[in-house]
Amino acid sequence: MMTSASTGFNCYLDGSIVSLWVLSANLEISESAALEILKVASSRGSVMDGNNAIVQQEQQQQKQSHNPKDWIAVDPQNAWDLLHEERSLMTHITTSCVDLDDILGGGISCKQVTEIGGVPGIGKTQLGIQLAVNVQMPPYCGGLGGKAIYIDTEGSFMAERAQEIAEACVEDLSCPVEIQGKDVKIVIIDSIAFHFRQGFEDLALRTRILGDMALKLMKLAKVCSLAKKNNAIYVAVMPQVYVSNFGLSFVLLLSLIQDFFALQGDSWSRCCTNRVILYWNGNERYAYIDKSPYLRPAAASYSVTSRGIRNSASNCKRSRLV
Amino acid sequence: MSQIQSGPSTHSNLHPAFMTPQKLLPVEKCSLGCPILDCCIGGGIPCNSITEIVAESGSGKTQLCLQLSLRAQLPPFLGGLSASSLYLYTEFPFPTRRLHQLSSALQSQYPQIFVDDYNPCDSVFLQSVNNADQLLDIMPQIESFLENSKPRLPVRVIVIDSIAALFRSEFENTASDLIRRSSLFFKISGKLKELAKRFNLAVLVINQVMDFVESGCGVNEVRIGNLGSFYSSGRRVCPALGLSWANCVNSRLFLSKDEYESGLVGGGESGSVSRETRRRLHVVFAPHLPGLSCEFVIRREGVLGVNR
Repeated sequence: MMTSASTGFNCYLDGSIVSLWVLSANLEISESAALEILKVASSRGSVMDGNNAIVQQEQQQQKQSHNPKDWIAVDPQNAWDLLHEERSLMTHITTSCVDLDDILGGGISCKQVTEIGGVPGIGKTQLGIQLAVNVQMPPYCGGLGGKAIYIDTEGSFMAERAQEIAEACVEDLSCPVEIQGKDVKIVIIDSIAFHFRQGFEDLALRTRILGDMALKLMKLAKVCSLAKKNNAIYVAVMPQVYVSNFGLSFVLLLSLIQDFFALQGDSWSRCCTNRVILYWNGNERYAYIDKSPYLRPAAASYSVTSRGIRNSASNCKRSRLV
Repeated sequence: MSQIQSGPSTHSNLHPAFMTPQKLLPVEKCSLGCPILDCCIGGGIPCNSITEIVAESGSGKTQLCLQLSLRAQLPPFLGGLSASSLYLYTEFPFPTRRLHQLSSALQSQYPQIFVDDYNPCDSVFLQSVNNADQLLDIMPQIESFLENSKPRLPVRVIVIDSIAALFRSEFENTASDLIRRSSLFFKISGKLKELAKRFNLAVLVINQVMDFVESGCGVNEVRIGNLGSFYSSGRRVCPALGLSWANCVNSRLFLSKDEYESGLVGGGESGSVSRETRRRLHVVFAPHLPGLSCEFVIRREGVLGVNR
C-alpha cells in the first residue's frame, strides 16, 4: 500500500514527520491525492491531521515488520498526546526521604530504568527494600498500589530487614489503607554488577550481553506500561562501584572519580535513563543525580534509620544545586 | 507469583521460583554464644550470607571464628545450627590448643548435649590453604564434600581465616596483577555465595587491616568518601584488599582494640598506671543491621560481650 521505494516512504507511518505537502512533493502526486492517503492513514486508527507531527514509537521495530497489520496495531501519538499522557501517568514511588524525593522530582519515576550506584554499605540495598515496600502503598501515600519483584544476586536481601521497614511504613500511615494491588509495578535488581564481574574474559561479549539486557529492561519498563496503560513498571538497577577486572575500565578508574562511577563502562551508562550515585560526605550519606534527561544535577542528604530511608538527621534542608 | 517455593531452592531447579519475604523468614543464624554480642549483630552470623570480620592482629578475630565453628554444633534452641563446620586456615600454625580449650569449655557448659565422650572438635573440619589459586581450586572439592560426605552433623558453616593472607603476599602492585587479583576475588566470592545459597551456609571470612593513608590514593586502594577507616590501637586503619573485595561481602564487622589507662586512683604521673585493653565489635555495614557496637573481652572460655 502506498509504497514508493524511490522516495523513501516505505509505508505511511515511516518517518516521524509526515505532512500533506511533503507527501505530495515527494511522491509527485497532487495534494488531493496526498490528502486521500492521509485520510486512509488516519482512518486506520492514527490520530493525525496533515499538519501535525506524528511521533511514532518503536520505529525500529516497525521497520523490521513486514506485515501491514502489525503497523496498524501501533498507535502513533503526537507530542502533545505524549506529554498529556506522561503528565497523567508519570507517577513516582516515594523514597520516604523528602529531600531525595525533591531532587528526583517526586521519587523513582515511572517507565524508566533508574540506576543506583554507590560503595558497599552506603544503603543501595536499603533503598531497594524501601522502594519494594513503598510501591505497595496507595497512590495518595506516594506508592502505586502494586507489587514488587526483587532480584537479589548478591544475597544481601534480608527478609527481616524488609519486615522491619514494612512495619515502620505501616505505622507511619496515619489511617489504615487498603492494599489491594495485583500488578507488579517495580522490578529491583540488586545488583546488576554481580554477574558481570566474574568470568568474563571477553570484554566485547560482556558489552554485548550488557547492552542486550539493558534494552530488554527498558523494553520491559515501556512495553508493560503500554500494554496495560496504568501498569507502569519501574526498574531500579543497583550496580556496585567496583574495581573492574578489565583493563579498559581500570584505566578509566584511575583517571577521575567521576569516571570511576562509569562502573560498567560506557555502554552501560547509555542504557539507563537515570543514574543516582550514593556517596559519603563526611559522615553523612548523600545522593547525587549523575545522569537524567529531565532532572537537574543535584545532591541531597539522606539517612538510613531503623525505620528505613529517611531525611537526614540534621533538620536543615540540604538540597542544593551542584 | 503463583509459583511459590518454600525452603532453599535446589540446584537443579531452573524454573523461576518467586518467594515472598515471609517465605524467607526466619533467617537462620548461628549464635556467637553471648547475648550481648548476639544482640549487636542481630542474633548471630546469618546463613546464606557472607560475613567478614576485619581487625588488626591480636584483636580476637580467630577467637570469634573458633567459637562460632564450635557453637554451630549446638541445637537451634541453644543458638546453634546443629551443624559441623569447615575451617579453612591460611595463617600457620592453626591454634589447635586453643580450639581444644574452647571445646572443653563448651563441653562442660552443655554436658547434656555432648554425651558419650563426644568431642566438639570432631565436628570442625580443617583444611589448610596456601595461596589464592589453591583456594579456588579446592572449591569443587568443598562442594563435593558438602554434597556427599555424611558426617554426624551436616556442614553449615565455612570459615576462611584469613582471606587477606592469601592475597597480600603474592601479588605485585602492578596493574596486571591487580586485575588478576580482583578477578580472583570475584570468582572466589561468587563460588562462596553459590555454596552459601545452595547449602544454606553461614560463611565467615577474616580480613586484615592496613594503615589508612590520608589522600594517598594508591593504585590498588581507591577510596571514595569515608569507606572504612576506623581507629584501632590509636591508629587509623582500613580493611585490606580494597574496594573490589568490599563488594564481595554482605556484612562487615570490625573489631577494634584500644589500650586505656585504668586505676587512676593512684593519681598523678608518679602513680603506677595499669593498662587495660578494651575491645569493641562494630557493625560497619550489613543489610539487616544498624551500625551498633559493643564491648567484649576474651576469656579462657571464649569471647564474651560486656555491658559498660
